[in-house]
Amino acid sequence: MIDVQGVSKTYGSNQALDNLQFQINEGNCYGLVGPNGAGKSTFMKILVGVLQRFDGDIQVFNHSVKENRLGVKSYIGYVPQDICLEELLTAKDNLIYFGKLYGLSGEHLRKRIKTVLEQIGLSEKANQKLTEFSGGMKRRLNIGCAILHEPSLIVLDEPTVGIDPQSRHSIFSLIQELKEAGSTVVYSSHYMEEVEELCDSVGLIDKGKLVEHGTMKQVLNKHRSASIFVSAEGISEEELSSHGVTIKKKTGFTVNCDDPLLTMENMIEQFRNKGIHPERLELSQSRLEDIFFNLTGTQLRDNG
Amino acid sequence: MWAITTVELKKKLQDKGLWFWTFILPIIFIIGFITIFSGVNNMEPEQLVTQIVPGYTVMFSFFIMISMVITFIKDRDSGMVARVASTPLPLKQFLIGKWLPFMIVVIIQIIVLLTFGVVVYDLPLGDPLALSVLSLTLAFISTSWGLAMSLLVNTENMGIALTQVIALGGAMLGGLWMPLEIMPDYMQTIAKFFPQFWGLEGYKLILVENGQIIDIWLPILVLISFGLAGGLLAFLAYPRFLRQSRS
Repeated sequence: MIDVQGVSKTYGSNQALDNLQFQINEGNCYGLVGPNGAGKSTFMKILVGVLQRFDGDIQVFNHSVKENRLGVKSYIGYVPQDICLEELLTAKDNLIYFGKLYGLSGEHLRKRIKTVLEQIGLSEKANQKLTEFSGGMKRRLNIGCAILHEPSLIVLDEPTVGIDPQSRHSIFSLIQELKEAGSTVVYSSHYMEEVEELCDSVGLIDKGKLVEHGTMKQVLNKHRSASIFVSAEGISEEELSSHGVTIKKKTGFTVNCDDPLLTMENMIEQFRNKGIHPERLELSQSRLEDIFFNLTGTQLRDNG
Repeated sequence: MWAITTVELKKKLQDKGLWFWTFILPIIFIIGFITIFSGVNNMEPEQLVTQIVPGYTVMFSFFIMISMVITFIKDRDSGMVARVASTPLPLKQFLIGKWLPFMIVVIIQIIVLLTFGVVVYDLPLGDPLALSVLSLTLAFISTSWGLAMSLLVNTENMGIALTQVIALGGAMLGGLWMPLEIMPDYMQTIAKFFPQFWGLEGYKLILVENGQIIDIWLPILVLISFGLAGGLLAFLAYPRFLRQSRS
């Protein structure tokens, strides 16, 4: 189990993390979401032992991050947001490099490199320099370098930023595979649908505080509210707002309401009277993204 | 640790800029200055060669700091430092692993430049043991200062600028460009505060006065002290450097 015990961190007068307390069960995939500057990366840096000065503690499989930093690091595979690879080396040389940093050597290292190259779909590119690699290939190798030593805990910080759908799909499959093999995964992403799809539990951080936490089901149920999505030519936000809180979306409007069936009936009546033919009129349930906006607001966060 | 050293050495071999700063430019300077000063001020050819070849060897050994600053700042800003810090590799092994390749480059640089002096200008080499110990000490101080600088500066430009000040300022004030004997007394006193002075002093004792290891104890002691100060500063600066690293 990962036990986060009152973790706080300040940078000067800025409170980056404020008394974070939660647990992640072994074998779980835990999604960490929050706006820019919320404290996700700071938390991840503390968890993987990069940031050494902080208040509180984290127990990783009963080992304190503070007291047994080097020991804890051998349990963890960290995939940073940036691609941290040696560009002038081949994919295989990068894996050898990181394998040795994790203490692997000889036949065991060779076997692991072969397995990992297959897992990340780069067996045929093993001897190519990274200068010839696409962004997606580098992202996959970035993950490969973190799972070579078969860590019990894999920490992924935005692993799918800026890649093609095929690479994203491949990374998703790999994470599923790791989960099925029993690894605990901590996954941070700005893509809420990814977190909703992959993770069993979720924690939402804002301004250094944990504002929501629980299993995905619990969180979705707790904040579940019905809404109606409307897309129609000639309809305005003002006209719809009589039915409930209306939010303008890219292709239409979302109307939040207490009784969606009744609201829908009223809307249909309104459209008939005005001769409006809606293109889409759908009942929808709150998604993680809606909950995220409800809890953190829609104001831009450009400071992180 | 050796994984870091090996990878860094592989990268250095492919770094054409480093080759230029380390080998080509010093050789151009040595040839240029020996040509310019030949026959000037009634200087004996041997006196000229034993001033300029070791003098420029000492001066250019400090230019390794530029390559170190570029490497460390790049690793810091790309997130590689934080990535390596997330592995079970102990801090001291990381620092030594990164440091060693640069020391090796400086040692090769010293061998190449002194060999060039021997082959082209009949530079007398003196006692091999004393020469080796002094060269190792010189590589230690220049790279330990490079390490400290790399971990202390915020930007690459700042590091390069400070390196120029240390390398060129130290060379000028430390008496690498012209014999200190022809300088005023106060300049000769000031020179003793710079490691470059002690580097050249050691080489002169070996090359000109045929000094043995026992004769160069003072330059060695001073250079090691300067080097240890740099190493200590680097060790203290590392946590801040790590905090600045992207991840």
